[in-house]
Amino acid sequence: MSNSKRRNFQIEAFKHRVVVDPKYSEKTWKILEHAIHEIYNHNASGLSFEELYRNAYNMVLHKFGEKLYSGLVTTMTLHLKELSKSIEAAQGGFFLEEMNRKWADHNKALQMIRDILMYMDRTFIPSTHKTPVHELGLNLWRDNIIHSSKIQARLLNTLLELVHRERTGEVINRGLMRNVIKMLMDLGSSVYQEDFEKHFLEVSANFYSVESQQFIECCDCGDYLKKAERRLNEEMERVSHYLDAKSEAKITNVVEKEMIANHMQRLVHMENSGLVNMLVDDKYEDLGRMYSLFRRVHNGLSTIRDVMTSHIRETGKHLVTDPERLKDPVDFVQQLLDEKDKHDKIISLAFNNDKTFQNALNSSFEYFINLNPRSPEFISLFVDDKLRKGLKGVSEEDVEIVLDKVMMLFRYLQEKDVFEKYYKQHLAKRLLSGKTTSDDAERSLIVKLKTECGYQFTSKLEGMFTDMKTSQDTMQGFYASQASETGDSPTLAVQVLTTGSWPTQSSAPCNLPAEILGVCEKFRTYYLGTHTGRRLSWQTNMGTADLKGTFGNGQKHELNVSTYQMCILMLFNNADRLCYKEIEQATEIPPSDLKRCLQSLACVKGKNVLRKEPMSKDIGEDDAFFFNDKFASKFYKVKIGTVVAQKESEPEKQETRQRVEEDRKPQIEAAIVRIMKSRRMLDHNNIVSEVTKLLQPRFLANPVVIKKRIESLIEREFLERDNVDRKMYKYLA
Amino acid sequence: MGIQRDRVRFNVGGKIFETSATTLANAGRNSMFGAMFDENWNLQSSEVDEYFIDRNPACFSVLLDLLRTGELHIPTNIPEKLIYREALYYGLLDHVRASKFGQFDGNRLKLAMSVTGRAPGDGTAIRAGPDGGCCVADGSMVHVYDWMLEEHPPIHLNYQTVNDMGWIDSENIVISACERLGRGDGGMGLFSSSTGDLRYKFQVSHENQVKSFTAGALSFSSDYRIFASCKGRSNEYGIGVWDHVTGQQSDFFYESLGWSLGDADRLQWLHERNCLLVATLFPRKDNCYISLLDFRVKRMVWSWSDIEAPVTVVEKRVRDAIAMEDTSSICVVNEYEDLGFMDLRREGGCVRWSSRSRLMKGKMPDEPCCPKLALHGGQLFSSMNDSISVFCGSDWVLTSRLRRSYGGSICDFSIGGDRLFALHSEENVFDMWETPPPPII
Repeated sequence: MSNSKRRNFQIEAFKHRVVVDPKYSEKTWKILEHAIHEIYNHNASGLSFEELYRNAYNMVLHKFGEKLYSGLVTTMTLHLKELSKSIEAAQGGFFLEEMNRKWADHNKALQMIRDILMYMDRTFIPSTHKTPVHELGLNLWRDNIIHSSKIQARLLNTLLELVHRERTGEVINRGLMRNVIKMLMDLGSSVYQEDFEKHFLEVSANFYSVESQQFIECCDCGDYLKKAERRLNEEMERVSHYLDAKSEAKITNVVEKEMIANHMQRLVHMENSGLVNMLVDDKYEDLGRMYSLFRRVHNGLSTIRDVMTSHIRETGKHLVTDPERLKDPVDFVQQLLDEKDKHDKIISLAFNNDKTFQNALNSSFEYFINLNPRSPEFISLFVDDKLRKGLKGVSEEDVEIVLDKVMMLFRYLQEKDVFEKYYKQHLAKRLLSGKTTSDDAERSLIVKLKTECGYQFTSKLEGMFTDMKTSQDTMQGFYASQASETGDSPTLAVQVLTTGSWPTQSSAPCNLPAEILGVCEKFRTYYLGTHTGRRLSWQTNMGTADLKGTFGNGQKHELNVSTYQMCILMLFNNADRLCYKEIEQATEIPPSDLKRCLQSLACVKGKNVLRKEPMSKDIGEDDAFFFNDKFASKFYKVKIGTVVAQKESEPEKQETRQRVEEDRKPQIEAAIVRIMKSRRMLDHNNIVSEVTKLLQPRFLANPVVIKKRIESLIEREFLERDNVDRKMYKYLA
Repeated sequence: MGIQRDRVRFNVGGKIFETSATTLANAGRNSMFGAMFDENWNLQSSEVDEYFIDRNPACFSVLLDLLRTGELHIPTNIPEKLIYREALYYGLLDHVRASKFGQFDGNRLKLAMSVTGRAPGDGTAIRAGPDGGCCVADGSMVHVYDWMLEEHPPIHLNYQTVNDMGWIDSENIVISACERLGRGDGGMGLFSSSTGDLRYKFQVSHENQVKSFTAGALSFSSDYRIFASCKGRSNEYGIGVWDHVTGQQSDFFYESLGWSLGDADRLQWLHERNCLLVATLFPRKDNCYISLLDFRVKRMVWSWSDIEAPVTVVEKRVRDAIAMEDTSSICVVNEYEDLGFMDLRREGGCVRWSSRSRLMKGKMPDEPCCPKLALHGGQLFSSMNDSISVFCGSDWVLTSRLRRSYGGSICDFSIGGDRLFALHSEENVFDMWETPPPPII
């Protein structure tokens, strides 16, 4: 290699800077400028890409980048001014088309210019922090075309006019629209927003404000909602066809505000077609539409919910306080269930199973069911009715459905303990008279109550079932032991009821006929013989008996009667005529019961095995009774009912109420003691609120009663008042 | 497209090359070939049977091979720079760079080059750029190198001592420097990395008056904020915040008493926690202070200091700290290259030192160098004397050690643009470590 050899020192001429041809940059730029003209004139086929690329490279390389760049700006501006003139000259409808065409031309030219100036774009522009070629082209288009005084307003008006025409049903060229809007978006989101979107939203708001006013004057609520929904969908469709996706939220907001939010109250309360009418007429489709539209606006759903709640409360209140309806408890409860089903269906079909709506429905029911103090009784009666006869021939699943519905109503009850009282009574009657149709259904309901209210709530009810079962076994044992000596004495079926588990109306036992008494005594000996330390007392007011009787013409009938009635009829084995006093004396049945029994024996048509003098409806103390040998019935078995009001009579109701109140006392006391034991010291208001909370699942404790219980506990020295603060109570261990 | 039409014939500087349009498509639209064969230029359908390109045929051959295979093989008789220049012409520089080194992996690094600086023994800091370049602070000057290690015009703030610098992007570098009294020199400035021009200076205003100040450590957040520790004449002690797009000051966190924020050695923006780690360390101060600042609530949300630590642990003095957001902890290092960890989730915790140091103690040189830490892609790097250790895994196991025989101890190192740069203090030389491209098979 030459430089490995040591070279001799040489004197060289002073090196001048290399001077390029001063015309060089000018010449090169002319070539490029010409090319840019040709590109804009669609005449690029004669150009050599390689040559142009190399020339642009050389200009940058020889530090003429600045000249190249400014030349580009000038030349491109020149061409854009020409394009602008041609767009301005376009007539009417061709304006947009011309703009679209020129935009496409400019884009293509820009791409080609960028191609030949690629080297400048990559090296010169970043180091001098200038705008890259593509962006420069867009900015120049924006400044020379879109923001040109003769174009800016015309473009905006044309676009808005087209949107308006489409809204009024005309068909417009969506493709063109899309291209022009896309151009605005390409120029930057601020151009789209400032030069189009802002005005578009304004104009839309005006349009829909006017339109909604027209609609609301002439349409009913359902039609209005249909129209609003259609407009909303149209706008969304418009966005998807030719606007920026980000505009969707904004334009739907405008429609929602103008068409829904501004008219919400008026729509909901519209006469003859508003929300209440839709609810009444089960207009699922309209309701669903209202829900989906209103949920889009602030407070929309709460408006629907409030109106629905007050409507349900209103109708419910009417339902539970209508004296007509109180006459038939079963129908009363059925009405409630129907009402619930109706609204459940509305919520599931139209309101998207919205939890807040379900809650509103539940609280409404809770509100009005408890307006009627007899609701617990009626619900129990409804169950009683269903379990007595209503469930025959019904599949197990359907039984479950009915029971579940009952449980749902039960949940709304505040006074669950009142329900329990009635349920116990009704269950006792069912069990003792053997009227239950399905043991499974009975037990299923008990289980449901147990899961709802706990073991305590149902333990006595379950005790009743156990008693029934044990009694069956006991009777089998009794007859097995008496097998030899039964003979023709009456057949006895005893149900041994545990005191406390059953609702007992303590009443003195009546005098049983001698025939029965004998068997009873045998049973008593047997029972006490097998069980030590027990006491048996006869509940003659609860039993039934089957009697065989022979009437005139030798007609034989089997009479199904109550124990009291049996006692009365047995008297007529020895006499044909007995007066009231005699019967009372002989049987010692309590007068009210006796009157009722006689009434059902003598006054009911078709079942009058006795005859009464005088033939009045009511039983007087001086009446006389005869054996009615003209009695006839086409049935062999005749059931003599007791005239018992299915519903409770007024005094009975009072009594039940009183018993409930009495039962609550120890519960309230227990709650107070439990709370005080853990808190040691508490003031009056807090005790009351905590006791109420603790007892909520069973009943609503009355503050006055709580106060009385506290006083009683103070008397019994469980609590004492604080010496300093008399409002405070202390727990005494 | 038929076979005939796929064939392309070039005449490059007199030499004929034949290739296919498919191969040329590998160059991408943003290259000369991409533009040349775009339908706009109508070249494909023209009758020309070859395209003339007025360039060096030898280099074209190398670059054509790169397009064909994705690999770069430069014959020994062609200088690398020539290839770079030609690649720039064709718009293939990115292809060349991608073929030179692979994705960064601390355990596979190879020394690619050593570059000697200009003023020996004066190197203070080195920062890797996002595209593989770097800048080196030599006292009061910053030398900028691009990824081809071409030196660009140096940058400076009136020759004031440079404290820290950083790349905002491949075009912009921020420099912080000491102030010069009354002249308004020094402070902070944003420079163009390619031309070295000062684009603007960052100012600190206190009660609407512009103050002269000394800028220390720097950190950047992804939302265009620049943070710097600042020391002024009177009240301007603390952390300044600027917007790097506008260059305007947007916030100032005044230091609380006894907590030397303005002297901080290291700032680190924690993206997930949205707060700034500030560490002021020995020997700049007698004690070490580490804190996290939340600028939204203008409060120190976490802090630690060794001011109350017993004197016996003097040997375990924190020399550098780095927050690791993945594990919510701070890693610290002392002059014996012991790593220590602190939990960011607990206030007032202490440092758990790992006990690796006993092995090292005997080998300490007389003049220990300041250890540095860095975190990259889940790997922890720590420099000590003349080597850099790489730690991996949740227990930070030592997996690699980078060492080179000359240049003396490493005073600073930096990772970025898939490269690691290490600056040595004795000889003014810096090393560039790269991960080789993955093997072919």
